[in-house]
Amino acid sequence: MEAYLLNLVILISIYSILASTLNFIMGYAGIYSLAHAVFFGVGAYAGTYAAMHVNASIFISLPVAMVAGAVLSLILALPALRVRGEYFVAASLGLQVLAVTIFSEWKSVTGGIGGLVGIPPVNVAGLDIFKPGQFVFLTLAALVIVLIIINRLVHSSFGRSLRAIRDSESAAAAFGKNVPLIKTISVVISAALAAVAGVMYASYLSFINVESFKLDTSVLIMAMVIIGGTGTQAGPIVGAALLLLLPSLISYLDFLPQTEIGAIQQIIYGLGMALLMIYRPGGIIGRKKHSSAGKE
Amino acid sequence: MMVENTKGTEDVLMEIRNVDKAFGGVKAVDNVSMDLRAGIITTLVGPNGAGKTTLFNLITGELSKDSGSIKWLGQPINRIKPFQAARAGILRTFQDLRLFSEMSVEENVLTSIEAGSLPLPQTGNQRAARQERVEYALSRTGLADKRKTRAKDLAYAERKFLSMARVMATEARLWLLDEPASGLDPHSYEKFLEILREEVKQGVTVCIIEHNLDIVIGISDRIAFLDRGRLLADDEPQTVLNDPALRAIYFGERA
Repeated sequence: MEAYLLNLVILISIYSILASTLNFIMGYAGIYSLAHAVFFGVGAYAGTYAAMHVNASIFISLPVAMVAGAVLSLILALPALRVRGEYFVAASLGLQVLAVTIFSEWKSVTGGIGGLVGIPPVNVAGLDIFKPGQFVFLTLAALVIVLIIINRLVHSSFGRSLRAIRDSESAAAAFGKNVPLIKTISVVISAALAAVAGVMYASYLSFINVESFKLDTSVLIMAMVIIGGTGTQAGPIVGAALLLLLPSLISYLDFLPQTEIGAIQQIIYGLGMALLMIYRPGGIIGRKKHSSAGKE
Repeated sequence: MMVENTKGTEDVLMEIRNVDKAFGGVKAVDNVSMDLRAGIITTLVGPNGAGKTTLFNLITGELSKDSGSIKWLGQPINRIKPFQAARAGILRTFQDLRLFSEMSVEENVLTSIEAGSLPLPQTGNQRAARQERVEYALSRTGLADKRKTRAKDLAYAERKFLSMARVMATEARLWLLDEPASGLDPHSYEKFLEILREEVKQGVTVCIIEHNLDIVIGISDRIAFLDRGRLLADDEPQTVLNDPALRAIYFGERA
């Protein structure tokens, strides 16, 4: 039971990092990305590559993963952010599809469809961390650090610029904001921090393959943000916890026919999502009524 | 970079020459040449669709000119982008305000004077100087009590004043104001005129689009009359307002 709970807390922490970093661009800059799982994956593969071929120290794997995520995000951000919002969604979807192909085919780095096995445990200052009881502290610490970074950014002049761009791009530009540059920087930061989740994930499971980094994961992360509350700090964490706990909670309901549990889960998801968007469009943590009056 | 009171000397800040802009077959701005002189209020008048807002958009780079040239402080700014125009000291407001609606009143003003793009920490001095500008703009526009209110929750007149406060907090030399007083009640627009006169006295140069003739007469040092993209007059207020041909166009359109 304890192992089961620890596993849940670790996964919730990792997905909270993903949801919070997506929320950073979605909720504060109004940039909707369907490629967040790509940066999760790039972080996992790059971190693993460094751990297996260079050194398993977190001080090696983490920076390598973050730089890889940041550089890759530039490929998406530079062309896609010069145009309006809808194009970014389309471009990110394109990157997601492309990345899955690369993850499956670039066998020397990603291990192909079979993935990579025997990933060494992450090493923090000479200490191998692989027991869930220890690893949980590592992921929680990573989550806290990511949250602090995002919090500082959101409340800085950079964060105000992001929100100004979200509310009115033309007015932000009219007040001297270099909109494409600011958006690009925000995507790079988001991708680099999402890569942190990848490193945690890979070294925790000691096995990764492309299945974890597909479009469904990107959609799941976006659902966590929206359900929890876009543009709030606690929302993505609540969303991540809820969507990861829901399957286990449903499986505890004995009266449900266990053979149909998958379908029932989908129905509950769909229904919950629809009801939430009708009654609480701002998400669980978001403002109760998201009035559209006065939106410019 | 406040200019001393230059009223009377009337140096040319901006030189607009033979500017054209067509949308499809329609000439929105048709061979317009005019000067914006320092330290005065130039009012753009003319019927709806005369090209007044388009001219603003061409100046700030929101739209690109088909031909013609614009000089700012003697330097050509023909390929300028809106954010560069702002950094060069040319600021504009929008007819539809375009406030940062989810942000508080204070944040709206503060972010308007934070033009840096990089996520770098500000120094204490910077922060204090900016806060001072914000306080100035909020107190002048009477929004100090509403500083924590979200922009979208403000009353109409307050929203108009917030749009002004964002500009007032900056150190821009030229303000392009797109119908800033439209829809204001008499009390509010008196306050608006007082603010504007005071700012011009401090050295700001203003180009304003306005329909209300009382306001036009009350504030203009110079009037430029546009109709169907063409500049029909650019002169002293009395000369323009007393021209029967212009009066016919102006009032004919409105009747």
